[in-house]
Amino acid sequence: MFELILAALVLPIVIGLITLPQKNLTTIRYTNLAGSTLTSGVILAIICKITENKVFSSEFLYVDYLSAVLLLVVALLTFTATLFSLPYMEKEVKEGHATEKMIPRYYALLNLFTFAMVSVLVVGNLGLMWVAVEGTTLASALLVAFYFNRSALEAAWKYVMICTVGICLALLGTMILYYAQVNAGGETQALNWLYLKQISATLNPTIVKLAFVFILIGYGTKAGLAPMHTWLPDAHSQAPSPVSGLLSGALLSCAFYALIRNIIIIQGTIGTEFIHTVLLGLGILSVLLAIPFVLGQHDVKRLLAYSSVEHMGIIAIGFGVGTPLAVYAALLHIINHAIAKSALFYLVGIISQEYKTRHLKEIQGIARVMPAVATMFMIGILAITGTPPLNIFISKFLLINAMFENKMWLLGGLTLLLLVGVFAGLMNYALKMTFSSVPEKMKQANVSYLALTAIGLSICLMIVGGFYLPTVLSEILTKAAEIVIGG
Amino acid sequence: MTLLTVLLLAAAVILTRVSSLRTAVGILGFQSVIVALACLIFGLKTGEFHMYIAAVLTAVIKVGLIVYSLWKVTLQLKQEREIANFNVSFLLAILAIIVSYGFVNKVLPHMAGETLGAAIALTMIGLLMIIARSQAIMQVVGLITMENGLYLLGLSITKGLPLIIEMGIFFDILVAVVVLVILTHRLKYSFETTDTSILNELKG
Repeated sequence: MFELILAALVLPIVIGLITLPQKNLTTIRYTNLAGSTLTSGVILAIICKITENKVFSSEFLYVDYLSAVLLLVVALLTFTATLFSLPYMEKEVKEGHATEKMIPRYYALLNLFTFAMVSVLVVGNLGLMWVAVEGTTLASALLVAFYFNRSALEAAWKYVMICTVGICLALLGTMILYYAQVNAGGETQALNWLYLKQISATLNPTIVKLAFVFILIGYGTKAGLAPMHTWLPDAHSQAPSPVSGLLSGALLSCAFYALIRNIIIIQGTIGTEFIHTVLLGLGILSVLLAIPFVLGQHDVKRLLAYSSVEHMGIIAIGFGVGTPLAVYAALLHIINHAIAKSALFYLVGIISQEYKTRHLKEIQGIARVMPAVATMFMIGILAITGTPPLNIFISKFLLINAMFENKMWLLGGLTLLLLVGVFAGLMNYALKMTFSSVPEKMKQANVSYLALTAIGLSICLMIVGGFYLPTVLSEILTKAAEIVIGG
Repeated sequence: MTLLTVLLLAAAVILTRVSSLRTAVGILGFQSVIVALACLIFGLKTGEFHMYIAAVLTAVIKVGLIVYSLWKVTLQLKQEREIANFNVSFLLAILAIIVSYGFVNKVLPHMAGETLGAAIALTMIGLLMIIARSQAIMQVVGLITMENGLYLLGLSITKGLPLIIEMGIFFDILVAVVVLVILTHRLKYSFETTDTSILNELKG
């Protein structure tokens, strides 16, 4: 097990280092495809081991069912993002948006980003987890700024500044938590998650509550919860599309994971009432704030970015409701959202490459120009808005079900109402983009099979996920929910 | 220790009145020297070996590498100056010091050492710099000031985090500065200025 985790950490670094000095683009493509397949394979092997052994813990590493859920997300998305990067970046070079010199840097940073995300998920120490989360910001910052044009620079600057300040507050929270630990006499295993969980009942509630506020603001910023989400639409819209998919699907989820790990300890000290109220509030606020921006949007990637804010809100609501079913739904929603949103970002990448614009009004008649892409795009939009019988419907349905079971009539009703608003906004734009008449200058376009494979994989998962959830996955999710609730 | 705390706060307050980028970087270097010294003194007091390593790391990374890389950028930004309302931020900085010492005395009287208040004040002044300054380099200086404050806070409430976590934090800060320096370079190249108040195109 230890070797597997080590491999998952070392592989991306090695591939990145091989890629960086390489000049031959074909070699770079094959190395990275092989590399990401291998990394994803290793991560899947870790998940398999976890289903057998339940936990793995060593001095600094800790993996359990909860990490397994997120590892699954990272494994899937790293693979599809790399696969999609191959045709996408080739076209970017051809169109003159990027030069050949920039390509090695792109893949090296992509690998570094994967490394940072995997390390967030496998460390068992809250201090090191902080270091890893900040690492994800730094690794992705230069990817957001990749094109180095004016808007990309603006997005990257805001991204680094807002997220670093936010994450500094999380560091403050972590330090206060450590202070609570020292006060409780547990200096030996500083910030070790497992140890903190065992002694959580003996910590001082006042201090821990203070720590919680800072940790929530810090990691909440990184997870894109409103009102700390302001960096998110900028960064997601300016990054290259494969990176946008990773940012939205995997990075936000990893930040949420760090928050949840902290909350598991904090709820052992101060109980769940305060935490759940705050999470519910932030969740509802995120969904609410996203709606006007979804309804009146002009940029297709920003549209998807605000939809991510909404989905992070839904996940927060799930954890805020806090019953086993709700947490199960929230975890399932993390996986479903990651698959659907990354596929949509890839699709929008293809679309904006063909139309040479991201402006919603100028993208028309995709069904005529690229029928295959249009079909997938509609399936993706239907999935992300929670239309049956696709995967996100299942997790949203379970969540709303859990709310009503828990007698939260008003909140459940409000959530449903808000979801209708988002549905209206996304559907409105998607239908116009897909089925309106084709602008004269557009001709039928050929889309590379590699790109369609990468997206088709996600689309298949979305469709299958609506009907069938493998028993193994269901078991992992149930056990992970137990860990979150404090079993 | 008292002398160091006073010097540190004085440096931070002066920082809010500086308009030249290079002076600001210089003051930041001075500030980091004091933090390294404070680390050393804590080490002598508690006799913990890892404090010495932390002091050396602070000296090498924060005083050496970070100040050096920022200094090199400012050499290329000779025309850039900060134009902000210095009087307001000066007053806010003094207010921050008063509030943090007041807070510590009132809420946490049992641990009202002189450094804790200074640490909170330093963090707040750093945050203030990030919000109120528009020059890219000034914001980076604010960020490091904030981090210095947090570091000092960690030192004064616990005996510092374990070494491996601390090394991770140092590494992160160093990489953050490198990334920000690259972005600053690019800002100068694309916009011909490093005034971040022109970064207002992305909306909605």
